[in-house]
Amino acid sequence: MIDNLFNWIDDRLAISRGGRHLLNKIFPDHWSFMLGEIALYSFIVLLLTGIFLTLYFVPSESSIVYHGAYLPIDGQHVSQAFASTLDITFSVRGGLLIRQMHHWAANIFIGSAVVHLLRIFFTGGFRRPREVNWIVGANLLILGIFNGFLGYSLPDDLVSGTGIRIAFSILESVPFAGSYLATFLFGGNFPGNGAIIPRFFIIQVLILPLAILGLLSAHLGMLVRHKHTQFKTPGAREDNVVGTPLWPTFMTKTLAFFFLTTGITVLLGAVAQINPIWQYGQYYPWKVSYAVQPDWYMGWLDGALRVMPSWEIHLPGHMIPNVFFPAVLLPGITFTVLMMYPFIEERLTGNVAEHHLLDRPRDRPVRTAFGCAVFAFYFVLFGASATDVLANYLNLSLNFVLWTFRILCIVVPIVVFPVAYKICKELEGVPEGGKRKVHNLIVRDPAGGYSTIPAEEYPGYESIELEPVDVEKVESLTAAAAAKNGDGRTEGVYEIPREYR
Amino acid sequence: MRSLRRLLAPAAVVVAALALGLLVWSPASKPAATPGLSGSVLTAATSSNNSAQQSEGKTLFDESCSSCHGINAQGSALGPNLRGVGSGTVDLWVSSGWMPLANPTQQPARKPPLFNRQQTIAIADYVASLSSSKGFPIPNVSLKGANVSQGMSIFAENCAPCHTITGAGDALSGGINAPPLHGVTETQIAEAVRTGPGNMPRFGPGTLSNSQVRDVIAYVTRYIEHPVNPGGNGLGGVGPVAEGFIGLFVGVGLCVLVAFWIGDRTPRSPEGAEEHGGDGPEGGSGGDGSDPGGDGSASQREVEHV
Amino acid sequence: MSDEQGPPVAPERDAEGLVSPDSPQFQVAAKHPQRVERTTAVLFLASLVGFVGFGIAYTQNGSTQWLGLTIGLGMLAFGFAMAAWGKFLMPRGPFEEPRAPMATTKEEKEAFVSDFATRGKVAVERRSFLVKLMGAAAAILGIVAAFPLIRSLGPLPGKSFYKTAWRKGSYLTTIDNRRVKVGDVEVGGVLTVFPESDVGGAISQTILVRPQTTAIVTKPGRESWAPQGYIAFSKVCTHAGCPVGLYEEQVQQLLCPCHQSLFDIYAGAEPIFGPAPRPLAQLPLFIDSSGYLRAQAGYDEPVGPGFWERGGTT
Repeated sequence: MIDNLFNWIDDRLAISRGGRHLLNKIFPDHWSFMLGEIALYSFIVLLLTGIFLTLYFVPSESSIVYHGAYLPIDGQHVSQAFASTLDITFSVRGGLLIRQMHHWAANIFIGSAVVHLLRIFFTGGFRRPREVNWIVGANLLILGIFNGFLGYSLPDDLVSGTGIRIAFSILESVPFAGSYLATFLFGGNFPGNGAIIPRFFIIQVLILPLAILGLLSAHLGMLVRHKHTQFKTPGAREDNVVGTPLWPTFMTKTLAFFFLTTGITVLLGAVAQINPIWQYGQYYPWKVSYAVQPDWYMGWLDGALRVMPSWEIHLPGHMIPNVFFPAVLLPGITFTVLMMYPFIEERLTGNVAEHHLLDRPRDRPVRTAFGCAVFAFYFVLFGASATDVLANYLNLSLNFVLWTFRILCIVVPIVVFPVAYKICKELEGVPEGGKRKVHNLIVRDPAGGYSTIPAEEYPGYESIELEPVDVEKVESLTAAAAAKNGDGRTEGVYEIPREYR
Repeated sequence: MRSLRRLLAPAAVVVAALALGLLVWSPASKPAATPGLSGSVLTAATSSNNSAQQSEGKTLFDESCSSCHGINAQGSALGPNLRGVGSGTVDLWVSSGWMPLANPTQQPARKPPLFNRQQTIAIADYVASLSSSKGFPIPNVSLKGANVSQGMSIFAENCAPCHTITGAGDALSGGINAPPLHGVTETQIAEAVRTGPGNMPRFGPGTLSNSQVRDVIAYVTRYIEHPVNPGGNGLGGVGPVAEGFIGLFVGVGLCVLVAFWIGDRTPRSPEGAEEHGGDGPEGGSGGDGSDPGGDGSASQREVEHV
Repeated sequence: MSDEQGPPVAPERDAEGLVSPDSPQFQVAAKHPQRVERTTAVLFLASLVGFVGFGIAYTQNGSTQWLGLTIGLGMLAFGFAMAAWGKFLMPRGPFEEPRAPMATTKEEKEAFVSDFATRGKVAVERRSFLVKLMGAAAAILGIVAAFPLIRSLGPLPGKSFYKTAWRKGSYLTTIDNRRVKVGDVEVGGVLTVFPESDVGGAISQTILVRPQTTAIVTKPGRESWAPQGYIAFSKVCTHAGCPVGLYEEQVQQLLCPCHQSLFDIYAGAEPIFGPAPRPLAQLPLFIDSSGYLRAQAGYDEPVGPGFWERGGTT
């Protein structure tokens, strides 16, 4: 029955041609190759929970009088977007869980994308032939950040509304076209003609997810085309990939990882409250709360806005506003340099060869030090987005905290670079530092002194190094066995791993 | 056994972390019903003309306040004149523990009050009696008929800019804080709104009517002090700062830990010890001794370190 | 490590070079598979209980915590079970597959380029006029298509960044549509006001404070702008446009809650700290014969954050 169905489909779609190579695709075993999977799976969680939310969310700024479960807003004029978010929270069964999962998944999505990016950067995984995939990944990050900001803005609550106001000012600050861009997008000077929530909605639930899906397919497609990079483990060479085949081992592990990532997101959604908009209330342009921050992935931009000195450029009849520098120029430079980095490094080193084996960060001290310094810079900006909260909790003057961050964002990268460089240089000569547990016995001699001797490993627990087996060779074995059976039966073939019996 | 341990250890970490989250999370308590005090919304509490209490107030004032504010509350270099401030102001500063200060240069900070309710009222009435202008008296707060919805709206417009929308408080300029609004009493809120302690603006009856103040008090005491947190732990009400912290360190962190467990943890680098072991700092160079076999890519050896 | 270990163990191969199933590479990774199987079974059972629990919690309209903890812990148990299966109960490997360099050979490139060029030549040779015409038509299409896509989105900015609804004689009006009278704001008080024609307006919003009872002169030429200590500034921050709603009464400063720009009221809301580059615009006030606070005129400069056409006023 199954065989017939398979034959029928295969005769028409030729799945077995090429599909076999997919089954045999080797995935490296090292844990750092799974960081991107966190992003992938939280994106799937985002899609699934997002679909749920669109069924209840009303993307409209038209005002209604709220009469619902949350008493302190009962009778207030609120937008339909806000009211429907309250209903998702309080009236839709499981709605709050889904809403919180969606928000946590967004935080995890972008967070894991950044961690994934750092792994690729520090191990040199972006080098030829993967420059294009690096650029695709950088764009995925940008789109993820944008979509996160839009999603955060949709409930039309007091905190996110303030963020939209700032976004308007940032658009307005663009030289030449700024005021046009802003009034076009918002339908007039702030707060516009009620168009912004519907427009954000359609961008957030359709346009950007489609773009992300497209880029994600390209990202993974190129991954299959290039095959994985790998660390320099025994048997790993430039002309092979060592690890686990997709079917069944990797499939099992990665499905497990999907459930684990989702499970962690669900549990966060269950026990940690995120974005309690009912406590914030409806956004009105003249209302504001202190301690308003964007979600963390916009934090570096908010921090840059805060630490920027009060400069702007005045030209005859024109000006370049203050916010242009931290909020348009800085991200522009950031993402341009990010995308161009593989080419910058190629140019500087003259190393244009194909690379499939990864570097250890310590073996590339300049790149590692540069990466650490740049990362430290953004980390300081990220911290600067909480100047007021830090001042409050540490009982410091706000002015002192802000000046500290202004100085830190210059000093920290300058300090981090040589320190990281030195650490790399020191570690370079250490071949196996911290790599493997060595079994030792501590022996007390009759004089009372202690010494350490290597111990025999416990029988059955020896860590032996195995030479990799070519998956294709395994395939020929199954074919050979089938041939031996004579009639094409594959019985006995699947018994290869004896433990399966 | 060992494989079992390896299997269960990360699971235990995840479960423990979440259990911790559960422990910290406390179910939202029902908004406490505040008994309506008799009388209208904000009325002056009947000031005791009881001479025994007056003299108690004087004694306490002379002991604890006069060293800075002067023996007749006329003020000195160390503390301001209190004549004419009204008993409401005195009550707010004393009942919140801001006063008395151990040291006049210190920042007033909330602490357990030094005096009990009766003593505080005695001091407040004594100070108020020193001047013919009455100032703002200690109010009687009645929340009967209060509208928390109005209160929330007024709170967002007038209070949230400094105290934050969740009442968590935040830092103002120059090392001054807008204090958190947890653990304040109805009377203190009324006194603070009307008298504007420290850097806080003063909201007179022309700005906020008595019934509006009542609404705000109802909202603060019922919802700011007892926030409705159906989503779990409220994370301190400080919004995305705490959320980002949890999202990155708990969310992404746990996922990475799980990946760390599922994946292989030993990027053995064979060339380090075996081939270039004695080569010194350049030991980990790109060439790993394995030649893919003249396919062009490996013949272009990496020439220098990045 | 390498001192204690021999070279990697090669798989056993038969005469034809095929890998024998007895090779250690095909053994499961677990030292004691039965134990892992047991643990895995327990975990699957736990996940089953969790999922059933979710079903019950859902039908009983359980709290977010019940819903999330049941299904979340179930998923964790399920995930750990599957991970243990994949990690310990499958062939330990390692396996490898060959990889060819990505760069194509000279022959492949030449074949592709020659196909492309020869056929392309047939298509466009001696028809360059057609090609140009086609390009021109496509370019025009691109430009006109941008009109409905972009231009129709919203109005031109026009004067909307320059003008607020404040006019000569506008009454200062609260959000409750109440005209503000002398005495409504005490010394040390603060109130958000709008022109009557634009109550709740995002651009018109104005912050009225009263630091003292006598007139305040912030700058030359503004002698009559703040009668009896009533002084009003645009509430839209000149940095990023947030409402500057934070009035510090003791130091007479306005603080923007978004990026902590600090404005000195007595200096005409000059920025003294933080990123804001320009003072908040001041609204000239007067008190009419009935005691109402009114605007002498609208703002004399664009309020709020900067934009390209704003000009070089400091």
